[in-house]
Amino acid sequence: MKFIILKVNGKEHEFELGKDLSESTTLSQLLREKLGYTGLKISCDEGACGACTILMDGASVLSCMILAVEAQGHELLTIEGLPKDDSVIEAFANQCEPGYGTALQCGICTPGFVMSTKALLIENPDPTLSEIKQALSGHICRCGCYSGIARAVLNAARNTAQKAVQKKSDGSQR
Amino acid sequence: MKKPYTPRKPRKYIGAYRPRIDGFEKASGQVKYVDDLTLKSKYPDMLYAKVLRSPHPHARIKSMNIEKAQTLPGVHTILTFQAPEFASMKPTSAGWTDGVDTVSYERMMWRHFKDRRVLGDKAHWVTDEVGAVVAAETEAIAEEALRLIEVDWEVLPFVLDPLEAMKPGAPVIHPEVSDNNVLPKETVGGSDVFVNKGNVDQAFSEADVTVEGTSIHHNATQASLDNWCCLVDWKDDKLTVISNSYETDQSRMHISEMLDLPLHKVRVISSYVGGQFGRGDTGDQPFFLFTAVLSKRTGRPVKFRHTRRESFHDSRQPAIYFGKVGAKKDGTITSMYFKSVGNSGAYADHTMFALKFAPTEISEVALAHIPNIKMESYGVYTNKLPACMMRGVGNSQFNLIFAHVVDMLAEKLGMDPIELALKNFGHEWGSIPDQSLTEVLKKGAAQIGWEQKRHSPGKGPIFENSKKRGVGFSFHPAWHAEWQEARRGLIQVGITVNPDCTVILEAPTVETGTGSNTCNVLGCAEALSFLGIGPEQISWPHVVDTEVSLKDCVQTDSAVAYLQSEVIVHAADEIKKQILLKVASILNVAPAEIDIAQGQVFNKATPDKTTPLKKIFYQGDLAPVVVKIGKTPNNERTGVPYIANFAEVEVDTDTGHTQVLKLVVINDCGTVMFASGAEGQQIGGQVIGVGEALTEEIIYDSTTGVPLNFNWIDYKIPTMADMPEVDPILLEVWKGAGEYGACGIGEGTVTCTPRAVLNAIYNAIGVRVNDIPVKPEKILKALGKAGGEL
Repeated sequence: MKFIILKVNGKEHEFELGKDLSESTTLSQLLREKLGYTGLKISCDEGACGACTILMDGASVLSCMILAVEAQGHELLTIEGLPKDDSVIEAFANQCEPGYGTALQCGICTPGFVMSTKALLIENPDPTLSEIKQALSGHICRCGCYSGIARAVLNAARNTAQKAVQKKSDGSQR
Repeated sequence: MKKPYTPRKPRKYIGAYRPRIDGFEKASGQVKYVDDLTLKSKYPDMLYAKVLRSPHPHARIKSMNIEKAQTLPGVHTILTFQAPEFASMKPTSAGWTDGVDTVSYERMMWRHFKDRRVLGDKAHWVTDEVGAVVAAETEAIAEEALRLIEVDWEVLPFVLDPLEAMKPGAPVIHPEVSDNNVLPKETVGGSDVFVNKGNVDQAFSEADVTVEGTSIHHNATQASLDNWCCLVDWKDDKLTVISNSYETDQSRMHISEMLDLPLHKVRVISSYVGGQFGRGDTGDQPFFLFTAVLSKRTGRPVKFRHTRRESFHDSRQPAIYFGKVGAKKDGTITSMYFKSVGNSGAYADHTMFALKFAPTEISEVALAHIPNIKMESYGVYTNKLPACMMRGVGNSQFNLIFAHVVDMLAEKLGMDPIELALKNFGHEWGSIPDQSLTEVLKKGAAQIGWEQKRHSPGKGPIFENSKKRGVGFSFHPAWHAEWQEARRGLIQVGITVNPDCTVILEAPTVETGTGSNTCNVLGCAEALSFLGIGPEQISWPHVVDTEVSLKDCVQTDSAVAYLQSEVIVHAADEIKKQILLKVASILNVAPAEIDIAQGQVFNKATPDKTTPLKKIFYQGDLAPVVVKIGKTPNNERTGVPYIANFAEVEVDTDTGHTQVLKLVVINDCGTVMFASGAEGQQIGGQVIGVGEALTEEIIYDSTTGVPLNFNWIDYKIPTMADMPEVDPILLEVWKGAGEYGACGIGEGTVTCTPRAVLNAIYNAIGVRVNDIPVKPEKILKALGKAGGEL
């Protein structure tokens, strides 16, 4: 295998082994350094903080724990691949319900939380608080915005459902 | 829906519950941090730097051989400590400033503790950066080169424990500073006994009741996710550095003074930073300098970044405290004595700031009504990670003993500790009971259910056969109010009003996540209400660049949010005058005849006849109206308000595991500048507070001095699944000087958490554990269910 092809955010990219990457290049390194997808962060680089989370075939994965060569043949989605009006992004950005603070402060962990939330809502569109805590417990937010994040996830679930209903009714009107 | 706070004075924007101004950019991953800004693709000729790290806790380099490393393909340059740049470089202290003011080398804060070489031959802790630096085409090559450097170490005896280090015959770590490891007296911190009011010994002998206790605060680390990173490009006579330092002007001063470059030839740029929490003291870390030297030597931009493991680089100042308090039978405290021994680790840095400055402030505030007080402190070198500043410098450590002896005394007197606190603590500008403390404790007690849940120590009901619950609290004076920030000198802001009435607000500060940017935009919208604009019409440039920016307001003391907003009020007054002059000149009327409200210009004689300001501006030269002003903080001494944490815990007496069930965080803020951001701080601080109380600790192998858990798997930071429900309560009881009269809150939210949790644990199980983090084995030992050394 001299070349690998990675499909990221719907677009295929070809890389040459030995030139663009080596067998030990991690997916997180490749996505950041070669493709400029800097929404994912490399912080611990050993699977402990969740900042490098992306989706692979719709499930959340730690891109620092996957070799780039292993990702061939999978659908990769980084935060850059989400639409601007994504319900999860909006919910994290807008959280200000009194009593829960904001869902982010410095923001460096946020894309990871957002991507895990995407995966959670694909699997479980209406999660309870304890399911949210369980699903996101692989992430560290040192600013400590966990209360705001939980509210954001609950709101994102509600908004996603509403958008789906809206879409459906738009479709039936047509 | 939880209950929002009630503002003292209704305002349009200040104090609002609303999203952060950078919420969308951050949530969508568009914000670029330094590592994102310095990709190889953007700097194709960039080299990567790595520095040699000591495998020994205390050792000197006898000789080095770099030949093999130098021949490794991809290695560009290797410099050793013997390179003339490093050999001639002045010694320094990483505690150069307290981060508040910008000072030169000569005015360095801890000028007697110049114990750091930028690149030296002596290592003082395992992983100390010494000996050699490498610039290579990739980080992997640089690391491989380090492995190929042959070092002949003279391994020296080491010491990890400060009490051992104080004993005669202990290894001397910095003979150039101290011959017995105890930091000498310093002009800033004063003598060992730094507070001595009245006669403590006599007061203790005359007291009806005395209690004494100890507490041990460990070395948690700041753990920002944004590992240290910088890119230095030194071409010809000009040096540019992009970094995630939280201050730019002081970094520029530091680099200028250490590398002997004029200030206009040093350009320091910071953008968004992924968390700060006190990390890095003044930002004048040695790696800025060796990266710069490598750039100069190679003629190429050089990037240096820590791995997460390497970013275990600073910690909180650990402190062992002894405290004693004497009182009359009615609960009037007559005497307090505190002594601390701090483990400063390998370098002094801000040890004495933590051990002396914070308690001194408290003695002037909370303890102002206690007639006899004595405090003494000793900072001691050991061969551990250097202890520096961390969110709430010194206060967390002092609070751990302070609210401990208060709780003990209350029990001995048979009083409610809330009653005891209100009877004794206030500040020198007020009377007892203190209004702020009263409200803070009253609200906290109500929210946690103090009356219903507090019981005699260990005498509450038992849940699931082995679990016991308890409640406890801790309180502390807040910091900082405006008068305590006078050392900063001028706070500079600029306002540009464009012809279409949109605004560019220059309130330079490095955005580390605190939310001061949103506070300032809200403050600007409030102050410019005559323009009829809202926060959406104001842009806040997030890049601080010493070449074009005003002086940055440094992100310390949690004070930036209100400091800049107070100056914005004055800038807005000034810009209104200038706008009126401009409008008068366009309309050819006298400035005194006209006014502006809600973006509409009118003649005072005919206020009903208005013209949009924008329309008038567009008839003129279309030059923006610009005001830049500087103002020193108002130094009117107004005291400070109070903060408190109440905790409810459940302790499993079989396993020793402690679960925090609920935390209530109460801050009297003076004025809430941005409610969602303030609550975010209150809630967010609990992650560090609970981590420090229960799980976070750097563990060393005592036989080798090697730190064992420089990673986030074994160094346990609370996640979402570990955290309890947190109820934030914002109050506006006290008020400082100025339009808003706010005080900082971010740091204080961490301060009271460990002691509140520990007092709750005591209430639950009836035995005290005062050594944090309170791991299960400590509980079991306290309960007599486990023996041996822990």
